[in-house]
Amino acid sequence: MTTGAAHGGRWQSVWPYAGAAALAAGLLAALVAAVGGDVLGALGALVRASFGTLGGVGQTLNKVVPLLLGSLAVVLGMRGGVFNIGVDGQIYAGAVTATGLALAAPGLPGAVALPVALVAGLAGGAAWAALPALLRARYAVSEIFVTVMLNFIALFGVEYLSTGPWNDPMAGEAITRPIARAYQLPLLLPQGGAHAGILLAVLAAVVVWALLYRTVLGYEIRATGDNPSAARLGGIPVEGTTALVLVLSGALAGLAGAVEVTGFHHRLILGLSPGYGVMSILIAVLGRRTVPGAVVGSVLFAVLVVGSDSLQRSAGLPASAVFVLQAAILLFLLAAEGIRARRRA
Amino acid sequence: MSWELVLDPSLFRLTVAMSAPLVLASCGELVMERAGILNVAIEGMVTLGAAAAFLAGFASGRTELALLAGAAAGAVVAAVLATYAVTWGRDQVTVGLTLYVLCLGLSSLLYRVLVGVRLTPPRVEGLPEVALPLLSGIPVLGEILFRQHGLVYGAWAVVVVTHVFLFRTAWGLRLRSAGENPTAADAVGIDVFGLRFAATVAGGALIGLAGAALPLTVTGTFTEGIAGGRGWIALMLVIFGRWVPQGVLAGALLFAYVEALQFKVALVAKAIPPQFLQMLPYAFAVAALVGATRGAVAPQALGRPYDREARA
Repeated sequence: MTTGAAHGGRWQSVWPYAGAAALAAGLLAALVAAVGGDVLGALGALVRASFGTLGGVGQTLNKVVPLLLGSLAVVLGMRGGVFNIGVDGQIYAGAVTATGLALAAPGLPGAVALPVALVAGLAGGAAWAALPALLRARYAVSEIFVTVMLNFIALFGVEYLSTGPWNDPMAGEAITRPIARAYQLPLLLPQGGAHAGILLAVLAAVVVWALLYRTVLGYEIRATGDNPSAARLGGIPVEGTTALVLVLSGALAGLAGAVEVTGFHHRLILGLSPGYGVMSILIAVLGRRTVPGAVVGSVLFAVLVVGSDSLQRSAGLPASAVFVLQAAILLFLLAAEGIRARRRA
Repeated sequence: MSWELVLDPSLFRLTVAMSAPLVLASCGELVMERAGILNVAIEGMVTLGAAAAFLAGFASGRTELALLAGAAAGAVVAAVLATYAVTWGRDQVTVGLTLYVLCLGLSSLLYRVLVGVRLTPPRVEGLPEVALPLLSGIPVLGEILFRQHGLVYGAWAVVVVTHVFLFRTAWGLRLRSAGENPTAADAVGIDVFGLRFAATVAGGALIGLAGAALPLTVTGTFTEGIAGGRGWIALMLVIFGRWVPQGVLAGALLFAYVEALQFKVALVAKAIPPQFLQMLPYAFAVAALVGATRGAVAPQALGRPYDREARA
């Protein structure tokens, strides 16, 4: 870990952010022009689609949910010294356990069904992170690599379930049967289509913040992440803490998967996560590994995702363009910070 | 599963062909890591190399230009990584992951902008099979080893050259010292920053070339998931091969065998859902890494930015 970022130092001025915003807008205009679209009209459509209308706000809130839960998972991991690159796999694991429960017990009463499905999601994500956690703590095996491999394995598993035993032949190729009503999250803004998952995501942000800064475990997590040798000398069980952090991180991602199923899709689909995991990593870095930073970053990225979805329709911009924008913003900020660090030295 | 299936000569031939991109990418990563740079953007670089090679081949119809474009794409991304990680001393994992995402997006974006949406995906011409004179006449072995496309021989050459360079030349020694103890290297007058930068760019070119091998020797087309984790696997192979080229080659062959076997088994064992077979190489990779991590000693300064003014 390098200096500044590791100690939660602040950006010293707003200009890198202003520069990043200008860069993003410029890049977006260039992309729209490259695919032969109308630049001003497209930018207007982006604003309308993401926060200009009630429906747009609803769509944006719905995208904030997986991004916030995912980036909280990454932030928690980074704080404890683990890189969880497996958020996508854990999202799918949580979605599988939640869907599996809902399909296996469709008759569960309303008051029990939804909470149990969400807990199943937490457990699924935690279980999917347990192997890399164990391997890292026991045998010092890189969690970066193991979590990535488990992403691939999870995707093949979901492909099998959604095309095979759980497939709904009426709905399409890689899509499961719908879950019963009792398992579905209620809508928060009926007109905008925003589901109540946003409340869970905000609650999770508060819980993660309180865990990190108001509990002994949180202190041990941060100490382990900042300086494992010092933490060990201080009597903290470093290996156990590392493993626990990764499992908790996986649980957050698993919750995101369960919320996507119960709140948005109401079934398990193969394209459930259009790269939420990698976006979560970018958000965590952009938000300087802090909980408030993850909240702000998730909203920003959700706007970009919803906006680029609309540009896909209006200007023919490919879906992948959003990755380029998001990564370019982050690279710009890292460069601004890098040049500044050089100048100080 | 019968022995004929597991020991089928055509399976070994496929293994050798499929090992080429793994060997190229992991040798590229190996050179970087020996200089102290951990490159977690590797999967993105492989994908972008594949996209660049496909697009150049598609536009020009010439495979040598396609190979060049793949290598160039990898080198350019590596130069960006080096600027952040070496020149500015930023955290290598953070920058690497950001570049990984950038490359994924850029690959699909470039393909979409330059090729557009078509009913049938366009194809590029693959690398021709080259039968080496005399050697290809050896029974069984000739067929397996010496009737391959040019990149297989290229990958073998890269293994030899990397080994000789790293362990038999003064520059190789300097490069390794930059990855083991940059402070000491700097003290005896070695240009740590320059060497790390150069190693990263050279390694990036090899990784881009590995990407180029995918559309040119395996698929003929470009799709978003074309790398399919091969970049990440190459990262694992460097640990598996204990940071020496011969070890990396052995690991790549072993892994390519599992990958090829999965294809062959899928053709015979129709009762097994194909997705379970497709999981196998990734599960095998995890198991291989667990075994390889024991006693693995990475270059001492791997992943650590060199700061002249830092106190030891």
